[in-house]
Amino acid sequence: MIESLNKAFCILPGVGSKTANRFVYHLLERDRDGGMKLAKALIDAMENVKHCQSCRALSEKELCNICSNTVRDSSQLCIVETPTDIHAIEQSGAYKGKYFVLSGYLSPIDGIGASELGLNELEEKLKDSTINEIILATNATVEGEVTAHYISNMARQFNIQITRIAHGIPIGGELEYADINTIAHALSGRKKYD
Amino acid sequence: MRKIETASAVLIHRRAYRDSSLLLDFYTKEHGRVRLVGRGIRKSKTSIQMFQRLNISFSGKGELKTLTQWEIDDSPREIKGGTLILCIYINELISVLVHDNDPHPELFDIYIDFINVIASLNNNQQLWLLRLFESNMLSELGYGLDYRIDLNGNEIDENKNYEYRQHLGFDEKVDGKISGKLLGSLVSSDLESLPDEGMLKVCRNLNRERLNLLLGNKKIRSRELFFVS
Ligand SMILES: [Zn+2]
Repeated sequence: MIESLNKAFCILPGVGSKTANRFVYHLLERDRDGGMKLAKALIDAMENVKHCQSCRALSEKELCNICSNTVRDSSQLCIVETPTDIHAIEQSGAYKGKYFVLSGYLSPIDGIGASELGLNELEEKLKDSTINEIILATNATVEGEVTAHYISNMARQFNIQITRIAHGIPIGGELEYADINTIAHALSGRKKYD
Repeated sequence: MRKIETASAVLIHRRAYRDSSLLLDFYTKEHGRVRLVGRGIRKSKTSIQMFQRLNISFSGKGELKTLTQWEIDDSPREIKGGTLILCIYINELISVLVHDNDPHPELFDIYIDFINVIASLNNNQQLWLLRLFESNMLSELGYGLDYRIDLNGNEIDENKNYEYRQHLGFDEKVDGKISGKLLGSLVSSDLESLPDEGMLKVCRNLNRERLNLLLGNKKIRSRELFFVS
């Protein structure tokens, strides 16, 4: 039992056998109450958390808090690779629209195509709704760019404004320390200064 | 003792590996395809990108070696949109058809030429460069065809037409689909001698038939996903 608990902890990112061992002994020797709570919370979450039917983010309800929030602007849809990207954007407080989570990016070599990313659902969504802008917020990587390109092609048939988040020099960053790809991108994506 | 190697390389594929690492497939000039683990590399601010020449160092024995160092050995190039898709397609070709530790230095140079030029071309020129890449890749991998001499031993005549015979070569035929002129352009591998649209399609089908033979039951998925023509 001890060994299988150790192995179970090892599935967590960044946790190797040594760290797992510390967890095991901490729970068994010092905090059985906490251990029971952890076990219960895990079972609850594993059984009851699903994906939001509208944006595919994690949610306990059919619709997540953001999708069911009527104050948020449903004319804007921000498309992100992962739920943690939503978290990052939400922390900035700079966006009041809604989201769609791809849970990855297109990767033909790995066999990850449109259906794996829920792009058929996304297309349905774009068909019959109030969305008039999609914001492509996939990563500034080749894979993120390929995914953005695919989605923009798909969205072009609808009368929707397609935008891509800007990439460039980080705020507070110095040019000297930026890498050449970032500088090249920042230059080609420069904006009128006023 | 763990061996350390350095190589001129391009990244052709990457995927997340464990918490903060990446599994990186490089195509190197001297060692062919090499799969390396980039430990902790996801946390570094500048991420390692495709479509630029890199210098990489790696060490380790056995199946999974470790990337120890890398630097960009290239100027930035902007590859976007449909052009990016073509580049993803050739990456997949390399990934599927070139084997580990099977270097083809010439093919590496052809690859670099491709990514150097592709973004500056119009649509049909891009497709023609893609056809030349496929054709040169097949030759480099040892599946080249003789574009100069037909199956009867006669020189290919640019005013005549030909049919392709699987594995063998070209047969002169009055109503053959393949023009001698196209074969001539494939010999010179000249970007300037752009075939017309009809012949570009003929060339696509010819290359596809040859690639499919080589692929067997493996699939090139970016074809389906992006309708790479
Ligand atoms: Zn939602």
